[in-house]
Amino acid sequence: MLKKLFTPKTIIFLAAVCLFPLVTYGSDRIVDLLYARNLVLPIPSGDYILRVVVQACLYMLLALGLNIVPGFTGLLDLGYVGFYLVGGYTAGLLMARLGWSYWIALPLAAIHGALWGLLRGAPTLRLTGDYFAIVTFGFSELLFRIVKNEEWLIGGPNGFVNDIPPPNLFGYELYAYWQQYYHILILLALTVIVVHRLQNSRVGRAWAAIREDERAAESMGINLREYKSLAFAVSAAIGAVGGAFFAQFQVNISAGAFEFWESIFILCMVVLGGMGTIKGSVVGAGILGILGELLREFGGWRYLIFGLILILLMRFRPAGLLSARARD
Amino acid sequence: MAQFLEQIINGLVLGGIYALIAVGYTMVYGIIQLINFAHGEIFMFGAYFAFVCVTTFGMSFWVALPVSMGMCALMGMLIDFVAYRPLRNAPRLSALITAIGMSLMLQNLARLIWGARWRKFPAEATPTVLTGNTIPLPGGAQVSFLDVFIILLAVSLMIGLNRLIHLTKIGKAMRACAQNRAAASLMGIDTNRVITVTFAIGSALGAVAGVMVGLREVTEPAMGYYKGVAAFAAAVLGGIGNITGAMLGGVVLGVAEALGAGYISSEYRLAIAYIIMILVIIFRPSGLLGKSTATRA
Repeated sequence: MLKKLFTPKTIIFLAAVCLFPLVTYGSDRIVDLLYARNLVLPIPSGDYILRVVVQACLYMLLALGLNIVPGFTGLLDLGYVGFYLVGGYTAGLLMARLGWSYWIALPLAAIHGALWGLLRGAPTLRLTGDYFAIVTFGFSELLFRIVKNEEWLIGGPNGFVNDIPPPNLFGYELYAYWQQYYHILILLALTVIVVHRLQNSRVGRAWAAIREDERAAESMGINLREYKSLAFAVSAAIGAVGGAFFAQFQVNISAGAFEFWESIFILCMVVLGGMGTIKGSVVGAGILGILGELLREFGGWRYLIFGLILILLMRFRPAGLLSARARD
Repeated sequence: MAQFLEQIINGLVLGGIYALIAVGYTMVYGIIQLINFAHGEIFMFGAYFAFVCVTTFGMSFWVALPVSMGMCALMGMLIDFVAYRPLRNAPRLSALITAIGMSLMLQNLARLIWGARWRKFPAEATPTVLTGNTIPLPGGAQVSFLDVFIILLAVSLMIGLNRLIHLTKIGKAMRACAQNRAAASLMGIDTNRVITVTFAIGSALGAVAGVMVGLREVTEPAMGYYKGVAAFAAAVLGGIGNITGAMLGGVVLGVAEALGAGYISSEYRLAIAYIIMILVIIFRPSGLLGKSTATRA
């Protein structure tokens, strides 16, 4: 196992990932150098690059979490942003209003998210296909309406403005972009390990069986209720962890970040890379997370392109960019 | 009392509009089992087409309405032909994701063409017959001609649709396809043609609803999403795939929403639609009038 993990290729990859913030240091030096010679070239600042990369990593985390439900169990989840929202507001409330430490708020947000996953899962256990998708959609939209309107609880449309303190690690406050980079990197690595271990276990095989044929799985002795609930809970908990990270990263949190299209954006990443694979979710989220940021200036074109990507993928490569195996 | 009466009328108007959109969802679902997410966007384009006809081409409103219906019918058929037909035999999830992508694309296309800001139908282009007059009701309430016109138009279109489906040959073919597409095909029915006609009819009715909303409220790129979701909830409430159910669901939802917005909070008017939709799917997935199928996929 370890021997397989530490091939020269993976070591170079890991080193590159770990040393990535140095790149931005370099780009800052180049910008300084050019500036001194009165040259202004469109080289992004180090902080900008890091911020985009941190955001892309956050999307990778979310895509990995979402992938569990449509990718592993074959149920289309159109409301994943609901758990992201629960995690974000839980961490935000605990940290900004009660002054709790981030390191307590993070696991509590994950547990809270998992509870909502179970809560949403319970009545939808016997639903499949379109009906499941519609309930998940309605659920996240309801949560969105509530956080948008209830001022007494969560600040209404404005949310918390610059109220969320940075996480404190042994007396050091983590707020610089390079610190956030390592922070999300660790969360992401943990998520990849958890999801990978689950996928290649008895649980993962049960999920795959449910995806391929629910009735056959049930008649082979798989407890649908248990395994589906587990999938919902794990998926929701990962989403909530993403939300908690997002809350402290953005410092302020408001309802606008949790609209329905955000769910579709994450789904788009999972579909692009290939549903049901870890690599696919990570690559899809990496591509779209960075592309989304680069296209931000183009406003409406951005979502138009995402829509087009979904349509073209389903038409010409329904199994995603990375998957060689066509589903069904 | 006057407020209650006004809210009920408001609800009926809204219900008529929802019913017009909901039949588009339900007819397509009945035949190809696809939630056509893009239908809300067709409805929105219907409003914009009429808007453009009236403002840019200076058409009369009475010409703009059928032109918009025709354009939307074409658009519906085109969407089916380009996006959905190639996926007819693909997994259902693929078609659903395509529909979501289509909706996302069309909504932002409208945003790029006409801007994100809402637009009001120009007053000089609105027929004065409709907006200039009101009918007094007992208790001091008033109802505008426009509202009466929308209700009458919706009812007559629904009756027309019902007759079309029950009395004509293409209607019979549509019913056959809804029951069993493979068997209908074996009986010599050109199912692709039936599906095309279904998209055309649904989209044209959606266009009518769009023009009415544009006339009564405003035209904006997001309207297809908001009204589309509510109308879809109406279709689910009535029993998806059931045309009479969609009409009934539209009216029930419209009245519920108007009363909720009037007496509880207007911020939660969409939430009412979501709650009704979720409760119906969980407790009675077949809807008010649908056949009983517990886990309809």
